[in-house]
Amino acid sequence: MTTSTSTSNNILEIKNLTKQYPGFLLDSISLSIPKGSIIGLIGENGAGKSTTIKTALDLVHKDSGTITFWGQEISSSNQIKEDIGVVFDGINFYKTLTPAKTGKVLAASYSQWNSSQYSDYLQRFQLPADKEIKTFSKGMKTKLCIAAALSHAPKLLILDEATSGLDPVMRDDILDVFLDFVQDEEHSILMSSHISTDLEKIADYIAFIHKGKLLFCKTKDELRYCYGILRCRTEEFQRIDKSDILAYRKEDYQWDVLVADKENAKRKYKPCVVDDATIDDILLLYVKGERIK
Amino acid sequence: MKGLILKDLYNISHNAKSMFFILLFFAVVFLPSSGTQGYMFTCTLLCTMMIVTTFTFDEFSNWTPYALIMPVSRENLVAGKYIVLVIFSAAGTLFGLLAGLIGTRIAGNFVSVSGPADILPLGLTAIASLAVSTICGGMSIPLTFRFGPEKGRLLVLVSFFIPSIICYIVYRLLLILGIVLTDELIVLFLYCSPLLALVWNFAMYRISCAILSKKEF
Repeated sequence: MTTSTSTSNNILEIKNLTKQYPGFLLDSISLSIPKGSIIGLIGENGAGKSTTIKTALDLVHKDSGTITFWGQEISSSNQIKEDIGVVFDGINFYKTLTPAKTGKVLAASYSQWNSSQYSDYLQRFQLPADKEIKTFSKGMKTKLCIAAALSHAPKLLILDEATSGLDPVMRDDILDVFLDFVQDEEHSILMSSHISTDLEKIADYIAFIHKGKLLFCKTKDELRYCYGILRCRTEEFQRIDKSDILAYRKEDYQWDVLVADKENAKRKYKPCVVDDATIDDILLLYVKGERIK
Repeated sequence: MKGLILKDLYNISHNAKSMFFILLFFAVVFLPSSGTQGYMFTCTLLCTMMIVTTFTFDEFSNWTPYALIMPVSRENLVAGKYIVLVIFSAAGTLFGLLAGLIGTRIAGNFVSVSGPADILPLGLTAIASLAVSTICGGMSIPLTFRFGPEKGRLLVLVSFFIPSIICYIVYRLLLILGIVLTDELIVLFLYCSPLLALVWNFAMYRISCAILSKKEF
């Protein structure tokens, strides 16, 4: 899904993006988002997910690399910003504003603003239009941001930990809204989240950033159906072909080994147990485990 | 940019009531001694200072990165602040004029405004108030963009102090050059003050744009 996809089919293309801070390097990230897809961005805190998103949005200046939306740089035209809906972690409107006033501010900012759609979202998310934001719970604030992001007819939604403040029921509803959004094949979503179950439910691709590097960007199905965790004793671990090991970790009584082809591992290492790997398992083994040098 | 201005007006409207009472308090304190002109000047300055408050609200709500993902440029964001500054200053002048006239009438030392001779001093004070306050407020904008609203609150004093120092230096230079400040010259200066404010604020706008262009969020 990364750079192999043709340019015209991609909404966002990031090539060799590099950004250095003291003690942190976002190292040559290349990622692209095809039309009609949902990309889940995962990684531990401080891995570089938000820096990637903020650099793409020109909120952080890149050191090198190229970032294009629909083939153009974000600063080249206001229309590109009209077509991008963004939800950050936390609300960006002052606490004395109401959803109604927020709608007026946004209506004056976006030429594509759809007031009736915004009102529909407020109703759907059960948000009172005339109540001050300071009386809202974190979940209500997140819902307001999502309503705002969806009401100016965006083609790309960028969500930075957007579902983190929602209860499971509301999260499920919101994920359905996102799935509805990508029914239009011109639409896509880039979504960073720590809640891997959300990504397992809706993402088409998973991009994993670790210590500023993109470790992989694969289809969710490949991770779900091909990746596995081989659990074995020390003597079995020592017999494993190193080329089969993506990452490993020593537990109290066994070794957990992440493999890219679980069916092959089942055949090759018969006495060992090979379990399905969840996104959390993969993330944990990459972050807390070790890799063959 | 309209959205940016509207947002600041909505945000500050919450503080409008307390500002109204502050200005009324100042009316009681200043009107008997300074008259409408002095009061108008005070109101304009006080309302102009609210521009720094809008930055506080922006920082509190992490507004700036959100604004920059809307279809506005960093230059638009700066320009919006300058337009809001002028709106605040003009509102202060208008309030000062009306409250001043009403207040002096209530106090019994009302000067009727019936002809050009009465309007001219008020008009000149209004122009000068607007010019001086936008010059001071205009300087607080790049300072607040650079140092943030917390430090900006302190620096707002600097921004009101530096133009005064510049005025004093110009005054001393004129004295050294042997130019005496006559009433005509002062009136001429007051007439020219909007032009001076325009040039000054354009320079401050460019500086603010340069500061904001380097900022990361």
